[in-house]
Amino acid sequence: MSIITTVGGRLSQAFLLLLVMSLIGFVGIHSVGNPVYNIVNIETATTEDIRRATIALGLDQPLWQQYLLFLKNVVTGNFGTSYIYHLPAFDLVMSKLPATFELASIAMLIAAPTGIMLGLLAGRRHGSSVDRNVLKASVSALSIPSFWLSMMLIMLGAVILGWFPSGGRGATVSLFSREWSFLTLDGLRHLTLPALALAVPNIALIARLARSGTIEMESQDFTRFCRAKGLSSRRILFRHTLPNISVPIVTIVGMQFGGMLAFAVVVETIFAWPGVGKLLIDSIQLLDRPVLMATLTFVSVAFVGLNAIVDLFYAVLDPRVRLSA
Amino acid sequence: MPSKDLGSALLAAAFATAVSVAPLGATAFAEGLRIGTSYKLMTLDPHYADLNENTSLLSHIYERLVNQDEHLEPQPGLATSWRQLSPTQWEFKLRDGVRFHDGSPFTARDVVYSIERVRDFLKPPSGGFQLYVKGIKAVTTPDPLTVVIETSSDAPTLPLSLTSIFIMPHKADGFATTEELNSQARPVGTGPYKFDSWQSGEVLNLVRYDAYWGNATAWSDVTFRVIESPAARVAALSTGDVDIADYIPARDVEGLENRGLKVDSISAARSNFLQFDIGRDQPPGVTGKSGDPIKNPFRDKRVRQALTMATDRAFLADRILLGYGTAAAQLFPPGLSGTSVKLKVEAPDYDGAKKLLAEAGFSDGFNVMLAGPAGRYPGDSESLQAIAQNWARIGISVQPVVAPFSVFATQRSNGDYPVWYGGCSGEAVTLCLDAVLASPNTDLGTGSLNYGKYHNESFDEMLVKAKAMEAGPERNESLARATELVMADYPILPLYHFHLIVGHGQKVGSYAVHPRGWTTAMQATPSED
Repeated sequence: MSIITTVGGRLSQAFLLLLVMSLIGFVGIHSVGNPVYNIVNIETATTEDIRRATIALGLDQPLWQQYLLFLKNVVTGNFGTSYIYHLPAFDLVMSKLPATFELASIAMLIAAPTGIMLGLLAGRRHGSSVDRNVLKASVSALSIPSFWLSMMLIMLGAVILGWFPSGGRGATVSLFSREWSFLTLDGLRHLTLPALALAVPNIALIARLARSGTIEMESQDFTRFCRAKGLSSRRILFRHTLPNISVPIVTIVGMQFGGMLAFAVVVETIFAWPGVGKLLIDSIQLLDRPVLMATLTFVSVAFVGLNAIVDLFYAVLDPRVRLSA
Repeated sequence: MPSKDLGSALLAAAFATAVSVAPLGATAFAEGLRIGTSYKLMTLDPHYADLNENTSLLSHIYERLVNQDEHLEPQPGLATSWRQLSPTQWEFKLRDGVRFHDGSPFTARDVVYSIERVRDFLKPPSGGFQLYVKGIKAVTTPDPLTVVIETSSDAPTLPLSLTSIFIMPHKADGFATTEELNSQARPVGTGPYKFDSWQSGEVLNLVRYDAYWGNATAWSDVTFRVIESPAARVAALSTGDVDIADYIPARDVEGLENRGLKVDSISAARSNFLQFDIGRDQPPGVTGKSGDPIKNPFRDKRVRQALTMATDRAFLADRILLGYGTAAAQLFPPGLSGTSVKLKVEAPDYDGAKKLLAEAGFSDGFNVMLAGPAGRYPGDSESLQAIAQNWARIGISVQPVVAPFSVFATQRSNGDYPVWYGGCSGEAVTLCLDAVLASPNTDLGTGSLNYGKYHNESFDEMLVKAKAMEAGPERNESLARATELVMADYPILPLYHFHLIVGHGQKVGSYAVHPRGWTTAMQATPSED
């Protein structure tokens, strides 16, 4: 019974979130400007062209009517047709998803283990030179703007060393009727630099979180008890400290993963990586409202889903959560 | 990784030997070409939107009846010759023996189909092309290789209009929809390259069409990669990921040349200029020095002239565009058809400008907002800063306002600006004369970019007369005269014609940049060695 109420509450929250998000997105993009100037060639179009295109897109209707029409269409699963690409908006988002998904996954596969290891190491040796270096490195990694980091990675990895290509997605293989590049060697070479660019700030973030958690745990009674029992410090670190600090880390990994799915705009733009973030920023710039709304909806759903998964992980990781439920 | 590097080095060495031994000309061995372009390919429908974004890449697959050379003059394309039968009738002789990529022969029926598809079938928001065919009343086909086009009024430049219309193969069962072309069907044209695959906004793969009617193309296959960020395009060219990259920022030219890459450029068939609000008594954003509202100063020709005299256009071209720009005195760069050779850019004369301002009754100057888009055109926002400093010297304090293009365009059409930065380009200078300088007139379709509501009756008359003339030197001369007449009234302040800069690697010997700004594999000639 309690599970049903929890799920029901979650769903209605998610539904409310989607509604609010769609309203903000809709009004926001409307207030930026009129998309019709990006659709017709502004340097050659006549006033008549502009007027006819406005009517064809339904932009002559009052905003609330446009919004109601949008909601009505979304309920039937139709996000409309992209103003710019003339393709169904939701299909367009879905076609960009594999690229973003594999990039974000690989970045997180690099970031999470590396960050946790560094954090445990630094926290275990609190105050040592290892700790100080990890701390310093994480501060600088977090303060480097991602466009600069990306340019430097291109400079080093592509221009000077020539090991990696400077951008693009490389060769892809079809799997589940989607194109994936992590399955080919060429695709992996293309993935390396953008994945690193996304991973570096996350390594820093996770390392800091793991470090402070470790320091806290090390001073707890149970750790001292373990040590008194004669357990090796490695066993203490991985069997006792790690599970205890993992709840905040899992939270941040989930949130950051969602963030990379949606907002890896800078990295995707610089590496010409055809992902969702780039689609989002393009559709904002070109005022391509159907695509923007489809992307925002997808992002919101992804965040809601990720949060649910993170909550499930809490229960797996922390027996107290399981018991209280 | 090392073993792979060694392997590829050996392979390259072997390949180099093979090439140097074989007595081959430049075109004889098949090589692929990779192009990094800023143009995002939006659709595979050649009639969907009249934007370089689409037409540049689609011109590999589809062809037009008439092509345009680097002076924008019409040249034979799928039509070999044309003549005017009467003021409202043109006859086009079609090229014999041309076949579409699917093997079907190209005939007059395809021309009829393509023109009717644009004129009758496609509905907004698709657009732009209707402009070129809406005057066409009927298209008849006396024989399979002849087309007679009848227009509802005099059409002296119909061949020029047809330089914009791509020819598609006709379909027996009605017109192809945009969705069809985007999704299932492979686009079929007569062009030098066949469609292979694409991802909208990402990549377009083309392979050579061996049965092409014209000169065999040099490249066996062409890959276009859409790279919108200029820095990323430069990086891709530097690392050899692409062989050609278009729209290179001027500041990166030196770095590319230091790396042994080559750069070609040409003045674009366009201009960027400042436009004044002339229509309203009190436009927003203009006040006296003490902040009080004043009468519209831009209605006075002397004020417009003074502002022109106080603008250092050579500085904009030399410093802001780093020499990859030409200071402008008219709408298209001199040398293209219909431009004036007499209009010159004068060096700034601040004292003379101050005197003129005083004569006009603005000896104290005034405050004005100067608006423009950011990052839409090379040097747009930087130019506004430079102009603000120029104008400060004659007592006019400028508040530059820079916004993303979509915001700027909306505000401009709302009439929120007194002076703003604009641009115009097109297949002929008449298009820009019509749009920017002719009085707004919905029936004639003129003045679509004349947001400042500039009116000049004698210019309007001269322009209408010149446009009615048959294409040739006389018409070009009349257009130049009309331009000189209108520019003497300082209706706009032309700033510069920026240059299109294309960089290329060793594989490409030379690249003929086209003033229309197209990026195609046909413009690239392989290097000799």
